[in-house]
Amino acid sequence: MKNSRRFLTLIGLPSIYLFLLFILPVGLMVIFSFREGTTGAARDSFTLDHYITFINSRPFQRLLWQSAGISFLVAVIANSLAYPLAYYLAFQAGSQKNTLMMLLIIPTWTSYLLRIFAWKLILGSTGLLNSVLLLLGVIETLSPILIYSRAAVMVTLIYVWIPFAMLPIFSSLERIDRYLLEAAADLGCTRLEAFLRITLPLSLPGVVAGFFFAFIPTLGEFVTPLLVGGAQGSMYGNLIQDQFMRALNWPMGSVMSLSMLLIVLVFMFLLTRLGPLSDLLGL
Amino acid sequence: MPKLKLPSPGALYVGIICALLYLPIALLIVFSFNDAASLTFPFKGFTLQWYQQLGQSSELLASLRNSLVIAFGSSVLATILGTMGAIAIVRFNLPGRGIFLAVSTMPLVIPYVILGVALLILLNQAGIPLSAPAAGFAHVIISIPYAILIISSRLVGFPDNLEEAAMDLGASYWEALLKVTIPIVSPALLASFLLCFTISFDEYSIASFLVGTDTTLPVYMFSQLRFPTRLPMIIAMAAIIMTVTMLAMLISEWLRRAGQHTSPTGGGIASRKAKA
Amino acid sequence: MKTRKLWMSICSLLVLASMFLAACAPVATPTTAPAAPTEAPAAAAPTTAPAVSGSTQTGELVLLDWSGYELPEFWKQFATQYPNVKVNYSFLSESAEVYAKLQSGVNADLVHPCSNYWKIMVDEGLVQPIDPAMLSHWKDINPALAKQGEFNGKQYWIPWEWGFESILVRSDLIKTVPTSWNDLWNPEYKGHIALYDSGESGHVIAALALGLDPWATTPAQDEQIKQKLLELMPNVLTIWSSQTDLDQQLASGDVWVAANAWNASYIKLLGDGAKVEYIDPKEGRAGYLCGFAVPTKSKNYELAVAMIDAYLAPDAQAYLANEYGYGIVNNAASALVKPETMKLLALDDQNIISRTIFYKFISAAQRQAWTDVWSEVKTSK
Repeated sequence: MKNSRRFLTLIGLPSIYLFLLFILPVGLMVIFSFREGTTGAARDSFTLDHYITFINSRPFQRLLWQSAGISFLVAVIANSLAYPLAYYLAFQAGSQKNTLMMLLIIPTWTSYLLRIFAWKLILGSTGLLNSVLLLLGVIETLSPILIYSRAAVMVTLIYVWIPFAMLPIFSSLERIDRYLLEAAADLGCTRLEAFLRITLPLSLPGVVAGFFFAFIPTLGEFVTPLLVGGAQGSMYGNLIQDQFMRALNWPMGSVMSLSMLLIVLVFMFLLTRLGPLSDLLGL
Repeated sequence: MPKLKLPSPGALYVGIICALLYLPIALLIVFSFNDAASLTFPFKGFTLQWYQQLGQSSELLASLRNSLVIAFGSSVLATILGTMGAIAIVRFNLPGRGIFLAVSTMPLVIPYVILGVALLILLNQAGIPLSAPAAGFAHVIISIPYAILIISSRLVGFPDNLEEAAMDLGASYWEALLKVTIPIVSPALLASFLLCFTISFDEYSIASFLVGTDTTLPVYMFSQLRFPTRLPMIIAMAAIIMTVTMLAMLISEWLRRAGQHTSPTGGGIASRKAKA
Repeated sequence: MKTRKLWMSICSLLVLASMFLAACAPVATPTTAPAAPTEAPAAAAPTTAPAVSGSTQTGELVLLDWSGYELPEFWKQFATQYPNVKVNYSFLSESAEVYAKLQSGVNADLVHPCSNYWKIMVDEGLVQPIDPAMLSHWKDINPALAKQGEFNGKQYWIPWEWGFESILVRSDLIKTVPTSWNDLWNPEYKGHIALYDSGESGHVIAALALGLDPWATTPAQDEQIKQKLLELMPNVLTIWSSQTDLDQQLASGDVWVAANAWNASYIKLLGDGAKVEYIDPKEGRAGYLCGFAVPTKSKNYELAVAMIDAYLAPDAQAYLANEYGYGIVNNAASALVKPETMKLLALDDQNIISRTIFYKFISAAQRQAWTDVWSEVKTSK
């Protein structure tokens, strides 16, 4: 069949690429996860111990679920803030559309690390925001109330993801046929109705993509919690990092990563199978 | 010239978000002139010493160049592969596409540290030397999910028979793809390129394992955090990057407007009218 | 069509950026840095320096090192000896990275981790012994520190820099100045302490506070240490992971007491005019030590050793102390270090090495146990 030949041609190259540089390394990770240790003789013997430790470890599991909750919130808020941006760009910005898009992307070309340092300048105890609050009399002394908390981690991450979430929403809004909206108006739909019944459903694939762009990296994030999270800010990604780099326990780090992978896959599966999203994503 | 009027709520919102996005950057630019190594208030005094130091740091400049090359190469390749994959999964209802979608988006989920170590071991076993290209090819992997999700979210919903219509007019399937489908998804291609560029340009964990001696900017910076006295120099560089990019954008916007002004029938306006 | 224009502007932007780089890079090439002259005034100029000065040998030397040490000031001697050898750096941000990379088969000619990772790399055969006779500066190296790099009777590691890990306080923000590790638990500091993000450091602090030997704890004592750390958490504001990060937290006043700050932080903050005090707790200060070794797979053993010798040269060591505030190992460099820096680094104290509690090698089981405790402590709230 012509069709299947075309399909294979299109999908072949990306598939080979993914196999070599992604499936193979993940396979290696699975092998790691059964090894007893990273060094010496422990490398050559295989065991299920790390899985058992993981299942029995309350801190690991509690933090995994907490981190998933935080990631969910961050992704939802970042997308809610990004949607109006994308909407404005797609429908109202006119000829300035591309310039505005660039304007929103360019800040991300400054290292993430430096932007976090800059956030500390804003949120820190002698920072911008605290100084303003002091001037306004909202607080009486300068103290680090705004930083070193889960909330600070979330604010920082939302800030980081907004442009990322905006792009897929924008690109799915862009393709909506303007005549469809005009027709809706002609048929007596209010703008809100037209939005809810036409624009929003048609942009859902972009929203789903934007959601994952924020949700997934947040789950494995470890730099932001370190820098602004304070004593209580650690997230699951920090524990993976600790097992991998500090304890030199590659097997445990692999088990923890694979568990995270599993959760996200289940989550993605549910999101795409349940509800109307399956048609939209073409699954 | 149109009369000045109050901005619409939408424009106001975009303005506020832009201000928020640029506030940290503006602070960095201000502090790149601060006469103290610590990045803390209050401002101590004006200096240009960090910029002088920057001019003397060839390693830092070399790492910036490596980062730009890796980011550019990997985002182009990721966008090409992503386009192929996206067309395949959106346009064809054949077995295998579900698995492909799942696998191609999975790199989003793997902690980069672990992907980096696993790739390091594989490359060493395959005898491939660590280098900028090695990191670039690895960055393609983490960029592909972004490319596929962005491009397919635009492709979904376009009538399937666009290519067929073009083929009826005598084009081959591949010509139809190039001449009809690609132009339609071009805004998504641009978005994908920009996003992949950003991701690669700022990626640390994988790069730190794979670049070998072709240090990238994030690798240099993370390593440099051990020496606070050298942070201002990095901030000075970020300030330059920002200023240059903003200037380039302003110039291109100005050129675009100038172009529109002199040739009102030129591409920009005509195509927009056709669309509207 | 509009997108095409945007593409063009992006491309031109990148071209612009690369032009900028191309314009800058040649100006800044470091290899032309003036070498040698500064060696003359050094009282301890290497009399036994290898006579291969200006060798025509070519080749490439790869260092797995921290960024900041690639500055030509650190290896002038090598640049003079081997002007045609290309020196390339691959940068680190964790000692464990050295292990991970060598273990995975990465090629490097010189590595530079800290002493708590030395033994594991020797045990795994990742690094090779060095003949100290090839080092012209070896006779000036502090013998107590040199001893730490010796395993199975052979010198594997050549120490290069060291420092304290002790309590650094903002004396203008606290009422009571701590005198013991146990004072960290003082409720006065509630919500204003910074801890280093490492299970090993956490273990050491708590053990010292409890009066235990950190490296010989029993399981019962480990449990005691865990409880002690959990009790410390209400006092802890944040966990730091890089000196840059900590210095900013102290400078901004967010943190009043840094539990295990390096003396480099102290010197830097003093230089910035902050009111800080570096504590010498009655139990003693902890100390770290880092140094160089040649990986077993390196094919450039001689060049690598010559490079270590260059890093040990008095002017290079003095630069390290003066610029970065790190403790040095070459006694002959003392004359070149600013007197106040000598004093701040406690290098003027003859017995300082024996009074410092240096990190020791830990077994894989200890590393695991301490990291697990740390994970639990960090996530206890």
